[in-house]
Amino acid sequence: MRQADQRQEPAAYERLVYKNASEYHYMKISLIFEKEGKRLEAAFFKQLIISALRDLYGEVGAAFPFDVLKFDEASLTAILRVYSSGLVKLWSALTLLGSYHNESCAVRVTQVSPFLLALSGNSRELVLN
Amino acid sequence: MSMVRLKARYLLCEIGVSEPASLQLLDERAVYTAVKAAVCRAHGDYGAALSSISFAVKYVNAHTGVVFLRCRKRYYRLIWSALAFITSLDSRGKKIPCFFNCLHVGGTIRTCQKFLIRYNTEQLHRMLPRCRNEAERLEVQKAVRSCSLKCTRREEEEEDEWDEDK
Repeated sequence: MRQADQRQEPAAYERLVYKNASEYHYMKISLIFEKEGKRLEAAFFKQLIISALRDLYGEVGAAFPFDVLKFDEASLTAILRVYSSGLVKLWSALTLLGSYHNESCAVRVTQVSPFLLALSGNSRELVLN
Repeated sequence: MSMVRLKARYLLCEIGVSEPASLQLLDERAVYTAVKAAVCRAHGDYGAALSSISFAVKYVNAHTGVVFLRCRKRYYRLIWSALAFITSLDSRGKKIPCFFNCLHVGGTIRTCQKFLIRYNTEQLHRMLPRCRNEAERLEVQKAVRSCSLKCTRREEEEEDEWDEDK
């Protein structure tokens, strides 16, 4: 047995650990009004969220960038995208949103995920055949 | 049992007004309401509640426009950033247009006073070459020589280290 055979290269590998896998967080929310059958445009919807942020976090909080990726006028559901550092602020502002132009409304947060693909499926609505 | 010390930050600010006569109307109440309103506008309900935890206007000098503001160490940045947005003070029904200029942030009133004395002597030194006649020059030199910090017992107890950990 030769020395060269026994001497082996130590296995080299690299392990990457991400504390936060994505710099954005995606939220699927639905807006619920006390009065049934209310319709809203996407611009008004964004304005509503910005005013909620402004009430709770002031001008500095309202200036935090977030995007409304999808908005469904009929069912009043939307997908929002926000930087991960602002997720807590956005979520807390949505929680404390109470009214829109003197009409009571509430926001239900359906899903939150750092990956957009995760919002396409929902184990609550899974139908097993 | 560990001794938990409530740390504060003292913001030393200077109020700048367009006409020096309106400085006489300065009082603690006006500064307090102006700063609180500015923090509420800039940082909302969240900022207003946090910054007012132990917020107080400790000292107002109507002649020089120097103001000491006190707040919690953890939230002093909320007030500091909101100072830039103050445009006027409302004192006894009159609106005084002004701006806040933050000169120093210290851990105790004593350190702020030490800074203020150094700052004032520097200002006086800068004024010296611009004196127009000998009488003014003598006045300024006398003022520079008489700058000192009077020691009182209460301030000795508030001694604290300015530590940069946040």
